[in-house]
Amino acid sequence: MEHGDPSLRSSSESAANRLVEVTCTVNGTARSLRVDPRATLLDTLRERLELTGTKKGCDRGQCGACTVHVDGRRVLSCLTMVATLDGREVTTIEGLAEGDRLHPVQRAFIDQDGFQCGFCTSGQIMSAVALLREGHASTDGEIREAMSGNICRCGAYPNIVEAVKQARS
Amino acid sequence: MRSVNREDGPVKVTGAARYAADHHPEGLAYGYLITSTVARGTILGMDTAPAERAPGVIAVYTPFNPLRLHPYTQADTAELLPPLQDDRVCYYGQVIGLVVAETFEQARDAAALVTTRYDAERPRASFTAGLPNATPPSGGTPETDVLAPGVTSIDEALAASDVSITETYTTPAETHVAMEPHATVASWTGDRLTVHTASQGVRLPVERLTESLGIDAAQIHVINPYVGGGFGNKWGTWAHTPLTAAAARALGRPVKTVLTREQVFTVIGHRPITSQTVSLGAAADGTLVAVKNDGISSKSAANDFYESVADLSLALYGSANLHVSRKVVTMDVPATTIMRAPAESNGSFALESAMDELADALGMDPLDLRLKNDTPSHPVSGLPWSSKHLEECYRVGAERFGWSRRSPRPGTVTDGDWLVGLGMATATFGASRGEASIEVRLRDDGRAVVSGAAADLGTGQSTVFAILAAEVLGIPVDRVTPVLGDSATPPAAKAGGSGSTSANGPAVRLAAEAAKEAVVKLAAEHEKSPFRGEAVTYADGEVRGGGDAMPFGELLALLGVPEVEVTATSPRHPRREHAFRSFGAHFCEVRVNRWTGEPRVARWLCVVDAGTIVNVKTARSQIAGGVVMGIGQALLEDLRIEPDTGRFGNATMADYLVPVNTDIPPIDVEFLNYPDTVLSDLGARGIGELSIVGAAGAVANAVHNATGRRVRDLPITLDKLL
Ligand code: FES
Ligand code: FES
Repeated sequence: MEHGDPSLRSSSESAANRLVEVTCTVNGTARSLRVDPRATLLDTLRERLELTGTKKGCDRGQCGACTVHVDGRRVLSCLTMVATLDGREVTTIEGLAEGDRLHPVQRAFIDQDGFQCGFCTSGQIMSAVALLREGHASTDGEIREAMSGNICRCGAYPNIVEAVKQARS
Repeated sequence: MRSVNREDGPVKVTGAARYAADHHPEGLAYGYLITSTVARGTILGMDTAPAERAPGVIAVYTPFNPLRLHPYTQADTAELLPPLQDDRVCYYGQVIGLVVAETFEQARDAAALVTTRYDAERPRASFTAGLPNATPPSGGTPETDVLAPGVTSIDEALAASDVSITETYTTPAETHVAMEPHATVASWTGDRLTVHTASQGVRLPVERLTESLGIDAAQIHVINPYVGGGFGNKWGTWAHTPLTAAAARALGRPVKTVLTREQVFTVIGHRPITSQTVSLGAAADGTLVAVKNDGISSKSAANDFYESVADLSLALYGSANLHVSRKVVTMDVPATTIMRAPAESNGSFALESAMDELADALGMDPLDLRLKNDTPSHPVSGLPWSSKHLEECYRVGAERFGWSRRSPRPGTVTDGDWLVGLGMATATFGASRGEASIEVRLRDDGRAVVSGAAADLGTGQSTVFAILAAEVLGIPVDRVTPVLGDSATPPAAKAGGSGSTSANGPAVRLAAEAAKEAVVKLAAEHEKSPFRGEAVTYADGEVRGGGDAMPFGELLALLGVPEVEVTATSPRHPRREHAFRSFGAHFCEVRVNRWTGEPRVARWLCVVDAGTIVNVKTARSQIAGGVVMGIGQALLEDLRIEPDTGRFGNATMADYLVPVNTDIPPIDVEFLNYPDTVLSDLGARGIGELSIVGAAGAVANAVHNATGRRVRDLPITLDKLL
């Protein structure tokens, strides 16, 4: 029996030798990067820019832990290739507070105990900020539905709903 | 009851909390695991040449070019053997190689270039097929019987009871899916090793690394204060940790290995599959006279853990005659391991479903049946419970939830397209008080540092440290800095068995008391002290004497003493005269769509009797979190094993379903808060596991009340309700 994926061979060898130039804004700072075309925004944030607040829960678009904003919209950074971000504006959890002043959503997550281990929290907060901006938080049902792309295995869901409501008002 | 925000809230909402994979020591290289694609067999060869030639690759380790690891010497909840030391494969997804490269992308793609030849054997991958050959567990007790005088067997007692039921309940494999995938970052400075790895107790990986690397514990420093959820799967130290540390040693540079989500499913263990055949016999008034449970658990060939799934039936309800048995089905699957309330969560699904079935047979309200069989002492040992207020949980819960509105006839309450049912079940989990050591340092800046090698997995343990120390020291909570997750600090209780607060709480208080004494002594004796020779006391963060008072920080600064440091140890409770358990009562409303069969949980109440609650804010979250996982267990979670290949068929977060926000209703949590003063002065038992126990049973009972259908095989999916 033989295993392994031969189709990956040629692509990986050629891809690894070519780097791509990208200039984008991350949390208000302009960044010029030469990146591996295989690099996701998530891995670039975490491993290159040392912005480790954005978390990798699945690397496949299934858990929401890696949620960031690109041009103000929520995206899954694990499914976003950084090479596609030339000229775009990225905001991560580290870019939300103004100095020591927490964003109202961050404050609400603390007040309502909207997390336990904290690993899903960056993604939850980035989703919550965006859905409040999008106006998708008028009822409890709407909040629960709109926040359902962000898995929390600690089960902080009821408190997350309360946090979104606190931040809404 | 105190309600305090988490002390680690600010770092967790700003992304500043650094979890294991967030560390980047200088010169870091990236490890990527290669895992087996057969479930049982021998590796004949691995072609690593293309991977070795790939850009950025530094090393490729396999069983044919292994990193030498010594055998593990102590049992653990993980595998029995270190990785890569032989050519055997005992499950699909086992670690068979490690690629180390300059970047993550390079390591990942090089790993895909490695081809492996196997001599594959047919795996034992069907629990059902293995049932006829289930065996008593090696080293375990196969059976336990308690029989009333003159009764010769449990079956005799069952036959003599007025009413009896017998049913079989089954639960699938489940897995933890803690949001943080396991990661290990290892760096060496000379012969000293620093490791960041997610663990439920940082001394656990120290032990494993000591054994497998053949070095002294004193050479190993594990630092990991933030853990992205555990639920049992970060108790054992898994293959990637010794492998990464050994690679870092061999290569002379730091290495980081982060498991992919798919790898977490197999490299890390899972909750076993179980089957329980339960018989309950009762007198016509509902008094239990016979409880029998024959439990069978799956067990991986890679380790020894299984669930003694029937054992809860020995502890929860009083009965003159009791019998449980334990058997295992050994399978060629990834390690079986502890998961939140091991054995008791599955055990309660069967027992609590059976109690409702018995209530039906008796024509009794299920709550009344439980009240009838509430027992003041442990049914087997006869020891009195240290503190038990289960009856109050039932009564308070019934009142608050509106239990009297439950229709005794299933399938009769509707709301539009929805069939509405109410269900309840008992929550319970064993309690103990282990030994714990804690260090308290009072500093000249007026702060107190409280340290111990405990873990906060999201439980709120670090905030408990701060609250209890602040209370004894008479200073605000935010003047206490808790230090957890550092193996260089004293051996506090690890995060397991719901035993953190029960053990560490008393130790924090002892250490804080000792710190007060130390600063009083210093004030009375130090030659520069203004209190020298006075009768010195301590209150509200101040040292007092001779009509004067001074905050301890000011005094230390004045004396030029940067800090006063003490360590105290709180001993293990011997548990000889009492039995210890936490209790609670679940009440829920479930709605089942009459056309699609879709079950939805609409409301939940959990009333908790777990002794003193130190921080009601985080405790409420933890109880709710257990209920959420219990709803997952009841309705969604099902780790499928392909019988022909031994592969997990749904090992991704899209395919292994766990609850999302919209699956979860508001969850009401009520604490009775009676201190368990037999267990400790603090009186806290433990709440990490309590609320998952009984949750699936409550859902199953509500589904039955809604539809008249009794589902005895988890999860309760809509196909079983159509
Ligand atoms: S890491 Fe991107 S969705 Fe899970
Ligand atoms: S807080 Fe732990 S996963 Fe959400």
